[in-house]
Amino acid sequence: MASQATTATLDATGGRDVREIVFWVCAGGIWLLPLMAIDPTTYLVLTVAGFAMGMLLFLSAAGLTIIFGLMDVLNLAHGAFFAWGAYVGFSILNALSGLGWVESATMGQSIVSVLLAMAVALVVGGGLGLILERVIIKQVYGDHLKQILITMGASMVMAEIIKVLWGPNNEVMLVPLAFQGSYDVADVVINKFRVAAIVAGLLVYGGVMLVMLKTKLGIIIRAGVENREVVQTLGYNINRIFTGVFIAGAALAGMGGAMWGMFREQITPAMGDENLIFALIVVIIGGMGSVTGSFLGACMVGLAFNYVAFLMPKLALGVNILIMAIILLIRPWGLLGREQ
Amino acid sequence: MPAAEFTPVQLQRLREHAGRYSRPSFLIQIALVVCLAAIPLVVPSFRTMDVVAKIMIFAVAVASFDIILGYTGIISFAHGMFFGLGAYSIALVCYHHPAPQYYHLLLAAGLAMVLSTVVAVLVAVFSLRVKAIFFAMMTLAVAEFVHILGYQWSDLTMGEDGVSFKLPGILASTWDGGQFLGTQLNGRLVVYYLILVISVVLFLGVVRFVRSPVGRVLKSVRDNERRSMALGYKVIHYRILSIVFGSVISSLAGALFALWLSYVNPDTVLGTPLMLNMLLMVIIGGLGTVYGGIVGAAFITITETWLPDLLKAGVGLLPPVELLQRLADRWVLFFGLAYVLVVLFFPKGVMGTIRDMVARRAAAREKA
Repeated sequence: MASQATTATLDATGGRDVREIVFWVCAGGIWLLPLMAIDPTTYLVLTVAGFAMGMLLFLSAAGLTIIFGLMDVLNLAHGAFFAWGAYVGFSILNALSGLGWVESATMGQSIVSVLLAMAVALVVGGGLGLILERVIIKQVYGDHLKQILITMGASMVMAEIIKVLWGPNNEVMLVPLAFQGSYDVADVVINKFRVAAIVAGLLVYGGVMLVMLKTKLGIIIRAGVENREVVQTLGYNINRIFTGVFIAGAALAGMGGAMWGMFREQITPAMGDENLIFALIVVIIGGMGSVTGSFLGACMVGLAFNYVAFLMPKLALGVNILIMAIILLIRPWGLLGREQ
Repeated sequence: MPAAEFTPVQLQRLREHAGRYSRPSFLIQIALVVCLAAIPLVVPSFRTMDVVAKIMIFAVAVASFDIILGYTGIISFAHGMFFGLGAYSIALVCYHHPAPQYYHLLLAAGLAMVLSTVVAVLVAVFSLRVKAIFFAMMTLAVAEFVHILGYQWSDLTMGEDGVSFKLPGILASTWDGGQFLGTQLNGRLVVYYLILVISVVLFLGVVRFVRSPVGRVLKSVRDNERRSMALGYKVIHYRILSIVFGSVISSLAGALFALWLSYVNPDTVLGTPLMLNMLLMVIIGGLGTVYGGIVGAAFITITETWLPDLLKAGVGLLPPVELLQRLADRWVLFFGLAYVLVVLFFPKGVMGTIRDMVARRAAAREKA
């Protein structure tokens, strides 16, 4: 009787929906698991840090996933845009520091200097993206092997140029005064910049989704991800759209780099490679070409990284590879990717 | 037997088989091996011997990379990692044993092969189910993870300091065999010849593999996946086989590398620069040519040894501007530029271009 009743409810609400809901509830529940080993206060601190890291990862993963989905280009130079953004942001903040707008700034000055650093990193990232797309990647459309090889080389060159211009050593990134320190909410220490990073990440996610869902450009991009030829047949210049998307992705990665620098308060020439690894894991978890998938994947990776880094520091990257492997095992095309 | 009973492929093979000892390429190979064997006797400088030994080791590693990259068309960023697994197997077995014997080296080689097979199968099974391109991404992540592990699992790997170890018996650098025909016999020389023999065997193994029926199937998978599937080949099985074979050879090359240096650390055998070097060697030598591996390995190893000095000397002639000085320190930058240019404008590599020229000349002769 009991089982019949359950079946009836399942039928009434549509069995698939219930199963989907159960799936997502379980998926959400997993993130409470670390509570068994971490006390709640620390858990909340780590959660905020994890979300902040996830948002910043999302900034570079979003570009990577759209570029792959639309252009079928795997851009391994994406991490280099990220590192360039960080270094440009570093220079901007250093310059502003000379004006007293960073270390001893008022609230307004702090916000302006952070925004300025982000904006310049955005522009520089976009500019580099434009050059890379027009000069190099355009020549290797449709050839995965060459794309991977050549973007790897480009990434190497860009990282080396960073070392030439800024020197090969780690640098300390200045953080404007209003973003230093932390809030204390009922014993939970929340770093101010982490809050800013979460807000910025959510804004970018909202913005990207708005463009993708509500504008004509977004419709063209989504149609292009589905079927490039048809979009071309309808008279849109797909090459111009490719370039635009590539620039946007590179710009987001550059901005993410600048924010990452302020988040970690330290930048290194190798940070691009590190970020690329994370972004690739995020994109695989989320599914190629899916922005929301990347967003979820980035949150997962950020949270898992922080919990495990607290419990077993050495395995922090390993756990993300493990998550990736498990997800590929269950859903080979990623969380929200298209089934092929 | 009348020729009609053979398929065209069989006929071509028979023809190749009959003339294999008289072709110029065979003579070049023999000459090459003789040269390599003579080098320590003729040029007694250690630096030359070091460069030549590294060229031999990398030629094997790159040839095995070519199986995956050139013959199967799959990009693996973990080839350097497998190299490192082999190197660390030898190093750790010899380090953790108070008095290593010869059989420990065999044991370590076996360990390297088992380890790399397991890792390669796992990564391949997980990623190839979806798309071949996933393999590139997963190997990148896994290789980075192992690199970090090499740094941080310091109970096992000694972390950043690396592992330096002693080799058994006549392989030890302290062994002294006295004079023989005017040459000082020592452990280094013995290891050199050991590397020569093993790398020739491994290289011939790779050549045999790509010319076997399996190698032919791999090429067909690379050129047209769907058609190979339609012909009834399990594409994924062949891909996994190729990845595993290439990775195992790479780990053995890594073991040789550890033998030669009697020292390993995470950056030299697990780091990204190693993997990039290997990629560069494959591309410069020529994808899908196997023998290109020798050319690529020789070119990169020699450049890498002399380029920094050359750049420093070159900058000495220029006005002392700081930016120029820094540029001279960053010779990887020039490597990267060369790499991008080669991929763009010279995609067939040295051996590929030579083969094209030979083929074109043969075609012209047939016409005439």
